[in-house]
Amino acid sequence: MMSFDPYGNPTYFILLFIALLPLMIGLLYGHRSHIYESIISFVFLLLTFGGPKWKTGIALIIYLVYQICLVWLYSKYRQRADSANKGWVFVVSVILAIIPLAVVKITPAVAHGASSIIGFLGISYLTFKVVQTIMETRDGVIKEFHPILFGQFLLFFPTISSGPIDRYRRFVKDYDSVPTRAKYLDLMEKGVRYIFLGFLYKFLLAYIFGTVMLPTVEHAALQAHGISWALLGVMYTYSMDLFFDFAGYSLFAVGVSYLMGVETPMNFNQPFKSKNIKDFWNRWHMTLSFWFRDFIYMRLVFFMMKHKWFKSRITTANVAYVINMLIMGFWHGETWYYIVYGLFHGFAMVINDSWLRYKKKHQAQIPHNKFTEYFAIFLTFNVVCFSFLIFSGFLNTLWFVPRH
Amino acid sequence: MSVPKRLFKIFGPIILVAILLLAVLLSPFSFGLNHVSKTTEKKAAVSLSPNVLKGRLVKRQALDDGYVPFFGSSEWSRFDPMHPSVLADKYQRNYRPFLLGARGTQSLTQYFVMQSVKKQLTNKKAVFVISPQWFVPHGTRKDAFAYYYSPLQTTDWLQTEQNTEMDRYAAKRLLEMPSGSSDKVLANALTRVAAGLKPTSSQRAYINYKARMLGSEDEFFSKFGISGKNLGKVDHAESQLPANYNYANLDKLAGNIGKQQTTSNSLEISNTFWKTQLRRNYKHLKNSQTKLDYTKSPEFSDFQLVLNQFAKNHTDVMFVIPPINQKWANYTGLSMPMIAQFDKKIRYQLASQGFNNVIDLSEDGDQDYFMTDTIHLGWRGWLAVDQQLNPFLSKKSMTKPQYHLNDEFYTKRWQQLNPKNLKAFEQQ
Repeated sequence: MMSFDPYGNPTYFILLFIALLPLMIGLLYGHRSHIYESIISFVFLLLTFGGPKWKTGIALIIYLVYQICLVWLYSKYRQRADSANKGWVFVVSVILAIIPLAVVKITPAVAHGASSIIGFLGISYLTFKVVQTIMETRDGVIKEFHPILFGQFLLFFPTISSGPIDRYRRFVKDYDSVPTRAKYLDLMEKGVRYIFLGFLYKFLLAYIFGTVMLPTVEHAALQAHGISWALLGVMYTYSMDLFFDFAGYSLFAVGVSYLMGVETPMNFNQPFKSKNIKDFWNRWHMTLSFWFRDFIYMRLVFFMMKHKWFKSRITTANVAYVINMLIMGFWHGETWYYIVYGLFHGFAMVINDSWLRYKKKHQAQIPHNKFTEYFAIFLTFNVVCFSFLIFSGFLNTLWFVPRH
Repeated sequence: MSVPKRLFKIFGPIILVAILLLAVLLSPFSFGLNHVSKTTEKKAAVSLSPNVLKGRLVKRQALDDGYVPFFGSSEWSRFDPMHPSVLADKYQRNYRPFLLGARGTQSLTQYFVMQSVKKQLTNKKAVFVISPQWFVPHGTRKDAFAYYYSPLQTTDWLQTEQNTEMDRYAAKRLLEMPSGSSDKVLANALTRVAAGLKPTSSQRAYINYKARMLGSEDEFFSKFGISGKNLGKVDHAESQLPANYNYANLDKLAGNIGKQQTTSNSLEISNTFWKTQLRRNYKHLKNSQTKLDYTKSPEFSDFQLVLNQFAKNHTDVMFVIPPINQKWANYTGLSMPMIAQFDKKIRYQLASQGFNNVIDLSEDGDQDYFMTDTIHLGWRGWLAVDQQLNPFLSKKSMTKPQYHLNDEFYTKRWQQLNPKNLKAFEQQ
């Protein structure tokens, strides 16, 4: 049987276009068929999780049943008129939702790099969607729960493998309605443009940086041992590859969603133009950083304020930054470089905030002009690229992996 | 705007692009894209770029145009005035070297490089530099092999393999490398070859499809990104040479240049190498090589692949065994008896199978300015090579080489054989 990585090769795109054609004609004429959508979703999920990867397909099905039951039970509890809304029920539910992901992430660290049998491509992104739905149910923002719609939200195939991470309420609003013809034509135009921009990013630029240049600079850096100019080359080349590869993928996911009449949120907004680290996280992997902002950072801050952990609001924010980013580091994987990457960004946020406060206080003395703006962009860019060098794990290969 | 017009605006360009692309890819014409200019050949011959090594078209065209393949590794990047490429160009020899290899290329990589130019090797001459440093206990480094790995050469090889001992061994070695399993279908085909079976018909179809695709990719792109930097170095080196070739004069010149460029250290190592690679670690390296052993390695069987391919194509090959800078060896405690044993073993593998053209310099490491640094030939060393290489390449050989191969060289027993027991091996 055929098996594909999503958006991996021309054949995938051709099949995708053929499958989407009836759906697009339908939307153009004001019809949306959930049955047809479910069929093509099923086919494309089968292409991704079937064939030689059928074991991950089974893992996906079990995971799905488990999470739908979990959220369903929690909704039942929460949406009863006389719901006690106990904190511990909520905490236990969230923990139960995270357990499968935790197992998958920890297994390689304790089993010498072996991957867990319950893992599948995209498990972390599904977990984000589940946790967020539980939290919003607790908040009472999600008032109704439809297991089928929730399943379709989780399995929405354009975004299943690596996001962008949509929100349940936003998704359902699009998915359950038909855009007007004028609106859909706009969506199609944008969708096609995003997909082609994605081709440029992923198949040209990411190819040049990742496949052509990166091995050359990595080879040179490995031959040189220790710190070298080539290592600096690795840093920039890897950063460019990471951006164009992921942004390209995200453009495919968003573009295809648009063709299906669903306005999946964008993931990147020219991140290398950021003026500071905070700005960067508002432009880089946006759906992930907003998720962390809304469901980790904000909640941490509220929790710490409610329990009066710290007197100072600044300390509270700083502690929350570091914990937030550290969790993001752990989420990437249980290796020293992901964790250091998380800590690095946590402290970068702390430093960034204190600088902004200092600058505000001394507005009169600190110059602000075009040059300082360019300098800020330059500095942020280099700090970010350095963090990606940590993230890449190349330092691990360079320093700790035996050469044979 | 009407809906059909709007739709055409959105999808029209895509349809147009799709039609154009299909026309280009499926058409039997190559639109002149497979033309390699003489300048490109000249650049490629000394560029040492991985893409030249991994590609096919540029090498084929250049070798068809009379370039001679010089297989080797890092020594090729030492472009001093006595470098083979410099001498050949300056003194208008009737051959021009096409340098194949760079830091990290060993026998296994070279074997696959040969796959793309089999026709060009047939009944021709070639040069092959054997570095003793390849023959470490683990053999070729996996990351280095991956760096020079070319799927095109793998499919070229799979299309012509005949399930001989050579093919089975090559398949097995490839599967031991991460590169060999980078494509699942190819990996399955390799597993069958290694087990002595033919690839299945669907695997064959895939190999042929892949070969065609990689082949056209090579035709379209392989000429680009070939650096001209080394050609500049060659030109600069030529400008230091006298107009007429005279061995005694050149040898004196080589010694003088060597003396001028090794002023920073007492090991007669070039100043650049000393500054960039050695000075920092110099202290730690004292007696750091006392345990090195080049006499037992899978590389001996990888090297047999190369010999086997040369024999199959009736290539007349000159082998070069470079020495090690004696001063450096003394400092690091490298065992000279071990080097002598290595030399004995490799010479046996060559001679017993009929490879009789060998420039063995393994005992010349103590000559002044023979090596440009620790293990790489330079100045007087290159000139010594040229003394034997020039006649070999310039003159037509009178006799065809007679090779008689022995598959025993693919065994673990040979790889791990102590050179002291050569007699026992011979009697089997």
